[in-house]
Amino acid sequence: MIRYTISLLLLVVVSVIVQQFIPSLTGLNGSRLLLVALVFLCASVTVPVPVMLLLAFVCGFLTDAQNIIGRHGGDPEVYLRPVEQLRFGYSIVLYGVMGYLMHGIQPLFRQGQWQFSAMLSGVAVFLYLLGEYLLINFIRGGLVLNQTVLIKIACSSAITMVFSPLIFWLLFRLADKSRYTIRFDGLRKPKPKTLTA
Amino acid sequence: MKPLNLLALLLFLGGAAWALTQSERSVREIQASYYRAISPFLTAGSATETRARSFIDEVEHSKKLEAEVEAMRSDYGRLKLIESQLRTIEAENGRLRRSLDFKERTKFGVIAARITRRQPATWWHTVEIDRGEESGIATASTVVTDRGLVGKVDQLGKLRSSVILLTDEACQVSARVEGSPEEGILSGQRVQEGSPKLRLRFLSKDARISKGMRVFSTGRGGLFPPDLLLGEIELLQPGPLDTEAVVTPSVDFQNMETVFVLTPQKEAP
Repeated sequence: MIRYTISLLLLVVVSVIVQQFIPSLTGLNGSRLLLVALVFLCASVTVPVPVMLLLAFVCGFLTDAQNIIGRHGGDPEVYLRPVEQLRFGYSIVLYGVMGYLMHGIQPLFRQGQWQFSAMLSGVAVFLYLLGEYLLINFIRGGLVLNQTVLIKIACSSAITMVFSPLIFWLLFRLADKSRYTIRFDGLRKPKPKTLTA
Repeated sequence: MKPLNLLALLLFLGGAAWALTQSERSVREIQASYYRAISPFLTAGSATETRARSFIDEVEHSKKLEAEVEAMRSDYGRLKLIESQLRTIEAENGRLRRSLDFKERTKFGVIAARITRRQPATWWHTVEIDRGEESGIATASTVVTDRGLVGKVDQLGKLRSSVILLTDEACQVSARVEGSPEEGILSGQRVQEGSPKLRLRFLSKDARISKGMRVFSTGRGGLFPPDLLLGEIELLQPGPLDTEAVVTPSVDFQNMETVFVLTPQKEAP
């Protein structure tokens, strides 16, 4: 368990670095594969709640360290309405909520139906991006929710979801190497029935 | 809920609360540490990416490149000649200015920087450049190209920095419209559709401006120097209290490769 958790943390760090080099698709309004979120979502369904929360904290912390923009500054007499920024740490909360969402269908996952988890990862990314965007609108004022935003969110979620089987495969390999059991009831071979006298 | 899960949730909420209550300075320190930690990977990754691209370019366009190099060589010789003439004119200009008792108020050092990559943010418009603190750049330094204002330095690293672009909603510039008394605040838009557009707010209700008029920075507000070209008025949207204008940026943000960072202003003696 500890080895698997450590390997998950390393996988998160690697995904943070790889994410830096994943380009956005300008043809799809700047949609992109959200690798860190994907690794977290797929990993969260394979671990118990405490480890999921640890991963949520690490992923959110690193995401905000990467993305948070500093205050505008400047003379307040000229810049009367500075644009508000999201506070450092908001991603931690969003990741936590997504993690609990994934855990909601863990029983299905444990029955071997990982496809539901793969699909739910797309839904979770959609909700994450929508939540993030609504938060930005809330603190800056003026709700701007149009087709462009929805296409960007939907395409990013779809692209991310497409890669989820690959991440699940990677997690199974990691679990095997770490001797951690995330095999579920559904994949266990039925025990041969024994004849009783 | 299991006691262990409850304890984990409480710890998680405590950690989130700790992060959310960090001061601006602490956040900057955290970000600086984060960038220091991943910097070697970014450098290696960027170098590999550049090598791969140049290799592909070389294979595809070697003959074309040869012709370009030849053309550049001849241009270089011609430009050296022009430069020497300009130096003479510059010196003459300096003498004339001094004789007219022209007092130069501000001076800028200019540092050329290459855009290494677009940062992986969904809602923010930022790029990374290959110059940092060691090159004399400071936080909030102005970034320009020969066509106008690009943005300002946001996160400062030793060898790299991130630049928040003018197309981001959070990058505000005090601006004026050329040939009119109109002044307002220019910024990017929250949602950019197609080629990026800027929005000039807080113009007077009866602003007499028209399409094609150029927009420059005023220099007010202490962030950007005056008279930097920002863009051209594309569309006017009168409102009940004030007028807003949609502005086409002068810089091509999609195809930027090299930018110039203006080092902090120094008072002329």
